[in-house]
Order: sequence, then structure tokens, then C-alpha cells
Amino acid sequence: MLARGDLYKLVRAVAGTREAEIGCDECFDQMDRLAEIEVSGSDATTAMPLVHDHLRNCEDCHEAYEFLLKATRWP
Amino acid sequence: MRRRTNEQWLTELRGPDPDEALADLYDLLVGGLKAALGGLADANIEDFAQEALLKITRNLDSFRGESRFTTWAKKIAMNVALTELKRSRWRDVSLQDLLDRRAATGRGMEDPQPTTEQVALQNMVRAELRDIIDEDLTARQREAIVAVILEGMPIAEVATRMGTNQNALYKLLHDARKKLKRRMEAAGLPPQEVLAAFESG
Repeated sequence: MLARGDLYKLVRAVAGTREAEIGCDECFDQMDRLAEIEVSGSDATTAMPLVHDHLRNCEDCHEAYEFLLKATRWP
Repeated sequence: MRRRTNEQWLTELRGPDPDEALADLYDLLVGGLKAALGGLADANIEDFAQEALLKITRNLDSFRGESRFTTWAKKIAMNVALTELKRSRWRDVSLQDLLDRRAATGRGMEDPQPTTEQVALQNMVRAELRDIIDEDLTARQREAIVAVILEGMPIAEVATRMGTNQNALYKLLHDARKKLKRRMEAAGLPPQEVLAAFESG
């Protein structure tokens, strides 16, 4: 049922889990601010740790954030 | 395009003659979408920008001023585009098909020759996780884990199929991950250490 690739994905997801995490709505509310912090060259990890954590755990929000970073750097 | 402060954007878009601000914002959204999506959706960029423009002008009151107005607006546009792209990419995939296909094909041990110690650790972790999944997780948590974590289906798409929303499904998955983490720790298999062992293999 759980081949090695599955096992790795699951353990990686569990290892990144924290007791308190924000949800997708809260992440979305704050990701524009985080994008500006990152584009300005500041450390996004320490500036907004809960949003940063969420982005590591949520592929959907991570993808949206990566696109937003590109859009923020333009023009 | 004329540079505007956040306040100027809001005043003009709410004012009696918003056309110039609307046209500038539209151009900004089209440019931002092109920069972000590359060639992913050239044919739909203008539709995405138009839909985003509507959402933005209808929701000006929800802008809290914590970023530049233009960054906030681009965020709305990215969300419109990604929601549509994901919907289109996963349109023909039902959750049940995904689960059935997985059950039917099994999953191969595709990795090259792990060492004996690694095999022993994998077997231990696999047995523990299987127990936790069977005993502690709800059927909905199991479905979500398979679809999102193992199969890589977008949370938003899984949420739609499970009759919930992205935020609620994330919380359901978070609860499941917390259960798995606690049980792994209690079993003497701290997930960080197990992950490090897997990655060194």
C-alpha cells in the first residue's frame, strides 16, 4: 500500500507539521505583504514565519505565491 | 502609466470617472499575469485580467493597505488564473477514479537498492503509519492524504470534490498530520529523524 516514494512523501509532510499552523485563507490574506518583503531582499522566513511555514506545507498556496513573486518583480 | 499611491488608486477607482485607473490597472494585471505565467496561458490572459478586474473593483473594501495596492491586485489576478488553470487541468479526474486507480495499480518499489538498514527502517515506519492511518484517521482524512499528499492533486480541487473548501480541507489535513506526528513520536520514530535517514539513503 505504501511504496517507498509514498512513504517519503508522507514522512516529509508529517515532519514539516507544527502544532499551530495558519490556514489557506489567512495565508492568502498575507502573501502580498510577504512577496514585497521578499522582493525587497529581506528574509521572508523570519519576517512572517507562520505564512512561510504554511507555504512549505501547502502546494496550492506555494504555487500561487511563486507566481505572485514573479508578478511583483514585474515590471 | 502614471504612478499612484494606494490612496490615489482607491479614490480614483471609487470616483465618478474611474476609466483611466481601470485601464491602467487592466494593463498592469495583463503584464503581471504574462510575467508570472510565462507561456502557460497566453490565450486566456486577457480573460483572467478582466475577471480579476471585476473582483478587485467589487472588493476594494477588503484591501487592508498592508501592501501596495498593485501587489494586492496582482494577487487577486494570480488566484483567478490559477484557479481556472487547475480546474481545467484536473477537469476529467474524479476523486474516486484517483483512489480506484491507485488501489488497482499498487505502487512499485522504484528506488534503486536501498541498504538493509534502510529497508528495516522503511518497514518499521510503513507498519506504524499503516496502523495509524487505519486506526486514528477518519475516512475523509485518509482520502485527503491520498489525493493531496500522495497523488499531488491540488487541495482546492480535492476540496470541491469532497464538498468542502480549500481552507477547511487544509485544516482537516493538518489535524491528520498532527495525529501521525504524535503517534510516530510516541513509537520512537520522530518524523524529522526518519526523514533525515530517508534522505541520507
